[in-house]
Amino acid sequence: MSIEEQYRTRAKELLAGGAVKMVIGYGKGTTGERRRPIFITSPDEVERLVLDEACITNLSGYLVSEGLLSDEKRVAVFLRPEGVRAVNILAAESQLDSDQLVIFGFDVVGNEIKALKGIHVEEFADVIESLKESAPGVAKELLLEKIESMSPQERFSYWQGEFAKCIKCYACRQACPMCYCRRCIVDSNQPQWVNTSSHSLGNFEWNIVRAFHLSGRCVECGNCDRACPVNIPLRLINHRMAEEVLGTFDHFAGTSKTQEPVLASFKKDDSETFIL
Amino acid sequence: MTENIHNVQPNIYKPAIMKIVARHDEAPGVRTLRLEFQNPADHDSFMETYRTGMFGLYGVYGEGESTFCVASPETRKEYIECTFRQSGRVTSALANADIGDLITFRGPYGNRFPIEEFHGKNLLFISGGIALPPTRSVIWSCLDQREKFGKVTIVYGARTVADLVYKHELEEWLERSDVELVLTVDPGGESPDWKHRIGFVPTVLEEAAPSPDNCIAVICGPPIMIKFTLISLKKLGFDEANVYTTLENRMKCGVGKCGRCNVGSVYVCKEGPVFTAAEVSRMPASDL
Amino acid sequence: MTKILFSDKLDNCVERWKKAGFSVIGPVQRNNISTYAAVERAAELDLGLILTERSIKELFFPQSEPMLQYTIKKDSIETKDFLPPSGQRIIFGARPCDASGMAIDDPLFGWDYKDEYWFQRRNESVIVTIACTQSDDFCMCTSLKLAPDSTKGSDILLRPLENKRGWLVEEITDRGRDAFKAIADIVQESADTAAPLAVVEKKFDLDRSVAWLQNPENFESRFWKEISMRCIGCASCTFLCPTCHCFDIQDEGDTYSGMRRKNWDSCSFALFTMHTSGHNPRSTQSARWRQRIMHKFNYFPGKFSVNSCSGCGRCSRQCPVDMGITETLQEISKLSQ
Repeated sequence: MSIEEQYRTRAKELLAGGAVKMVIGYGKGTTGERRRPIFITSPDEVERLVLDEACITNLSGYLVSEGLLSDEKRVAVFLRPEGVRAVNILAAESQLDSDQLVIFGFDVVGNEIKALKGIHVEEFADVIESLKESAPGVAKELLLEKIESMSPQERFSYWQGEFAKCIKCYACRQACPMCYCRRCIVDSNQPQWVNTSSHSLGNFEWNIVRAFHLSGRCVECGNCDRACPVNIPLRLINHRMAEEVLGTFDHFAGTSKTQEPVLASFKKDDSETFIL
Repeated sequence: MTENIHNVQPNIYKPAIMKIVARHDEAPGVRTLRLEFQNPADHDSFMETYRTGMFGLYGVYGEGESTFCVASPETRKEYIECTFRQSGRVTSALANADIGDLITFRGPYGNRFPIEEFHGKNLLFISGGIALPPTRSVIWSCLDQREKFGKVTIVYGARTVADLVYKHELEEWLERSDVELVLTVDPGGESPDWKHRIGFVPTVLEEAAPSPDNCIAVICGPPIMIKFTLISLKKLGFDEANVYTTLENRMKCGVGKCGRCNVGSVYVCKEGPVFTAAEVSRMPASDL
Repeated sequence: MTKILFSDKLDNCVERWKKAGFSVIGPVQRNNISTYAAVERAAELDLGLILTERSIKELFFPQSEPMLQYTIKKDSIETKDFLPPSGQRIIFGARPCDASGMAIDDPLFGWDYKDEYWFQRRNESVIVTIACTQSDDFCMCTSLKLAPDSTKGSDILLRPLENKRGWLVEEITDRGRDAFKAIADIVQESADTAAPLAVVEKKFDLDRSVAWLQNPENFESRFWKEISMRCIGCASCTFLCPTCHCFDIQDEGDTYSGMRRKNWDSCSFALFTMHTSGHNPRSTQSARWRQRIMHKFNYFPGKFSVNSCSGCGRCSRQCPVDMGITETLQEISKLSQ
């Protein structure tokens, strides 16, 4: 049995037996290469579930949709390792109770789908640990290397050019599982902290504020990058922030559901003592 | 029905400048401002077009604009008035403004109460709390031409005595022999020397039982009050086509372009804010 | 024999037009995105794209536009109007869906109150549209009763030649005719024939879908929640759409001086209809998706006799979760059978 069939069978059992009220997974998209998030509530629908190397979107963001988990019933969700890390962070930040989830873990290695063993968030600790080990040495992509070889002025210029394209659609924010604030800072108008216009200042303010709010929380799933309608390479900024956080604080986002957010906690041996 | 100015300026988003010539605290958090146009051309063009029911966008540069009805009647040509509750960014800035300060105004926009169709009829005005201002504009437009109308009944209530607005005008109406004012406060909202009714507006309305014959009703209030008042009016025999109300939606441009006030097939800023109850019942209730 | 513009003469045309006082704008690839931008030379244009990622609407309705500068003095307020910079433009290489999108929005921006920001730009632009010989899976102009060679909104229609050496020239409006006077001697009479147009299959039954939407009983249908479950409310579709036109007015500055601006806004945003009291008429994403569809195919045509959609397909092409107008109308077509 392929992994797709294994998971379909398990989804059918869970739905039929009432163990979960919904399965959030992937279905066929408009074209052959596309997959789309689907929400199955009946055992007869499991044939719509698809699992292959085109299943990339991080689905964990749907878990914090208003009202989804408030009836204390369980929901099953297909997640890659980044998605599992996202769940850990959401649990650590009190946005969900990971005991309400059944996780169908999978990873795409080359063109192969690997099932990840376990259904509770704790059971994926080894997978996440191995991700952390390999993090600093992850093969760098060409664009990232190119930017890192630039001088600070060149780098600023590069990002100025990229942010000039921003149209303030906030697709990056909506697609991101970590951006769950009911009222985002840009929605505040007393005072209007961040301008809504897409001029140079407004774009810089938005993108940099978001990158900072994500430091130590971003799981690098790439949802923001894929969602951006004007092709700004957002993954690179967030990747760089994640690297900084790993280097400075030895903090890898989402290693456990009790992991404190790095920018919201203080330890006595932290190198900066300004807070004391 | 729409009577719109086909704006001749190049910039339809450019406001007129108004000076605050008087301000009055109606209730906790509720303020009335009396405004005069700084530019006579703006004044003239406004007075030529303004009819009761139309609204404007009142603003403060640096903060934004907010939509309120024009609370003064079409029969008074020297100034305009607005009444608002301080609740957000713009209303806070307006509440902080002093006599002599300058604010912005765009309007009048929207449609109007078809007052000439009310000639010779009895009028029933029903309102609650902070929603008296739009009704008050119609009331004065009618009282300023009192001989054209039949019996005038006003049913008005608020949560507590302190929340009643236009208190000095309520006293005026109480004293007039050609107006019947039924005043009420919610149970528990009365003061020790309260001499008038106690009860919710729809209940008090049913007790007063005005006749639907040859009568036009005008209701302005929060959605929940309108809903229950309509039920009471139906019980009393009123036809939806003879009941008028005003809708308020979030607005920005006021001229039918930004899309914000669109509900059902209607743009409140263009085909409203005045609607008959029959028109409102055709709008999708869950989008209101 | 018909009028032909050969593509190797395009650089000459650009020169002539610039001499005649036009700036020349067209589809380009810049900074990893395809959009419409001003060019100095024909070589900068990318006329082989099926469709630019960003739409032509940005040339008439920019994302952020200054309207009024204000300065608050002790006893007076001074304002300075900012209207769009004046200048004749030739938009060379628009697609029929983009051009028709602009014509669709004209009645709204002129509804009783004339929005000069829109019309000044419209009146100063000549749209030269190139008919489509290719399409992709997301194109749906034919479903909206338009076509790869629609002339709606265009001043000149160019049909690509079969031999790929240029275009057949069709003059549609006086404005187009006048603009082409500047290159009258470059356009030649020739017997070259036009290439076949792209075949764009109809994706849904428009009339049936619109009838379903107009039925008030369907407003509360469970369909709306089901079809929009995966929508993340990101507004990409509305921002890339050539006909979407909702906007916000924002003051930027401080208590003494600043700029009042017009910025894009979207009915997909949760706060779009939020009242200060906290009441939000459209508080769920499904209510907001319903509004989008109803507005485009029911309310807008009710007022202006034309659907607010030109079938460009950008909404579906770009949606991060593979939604879009096409899917919704396809499902509605099925429902109403």
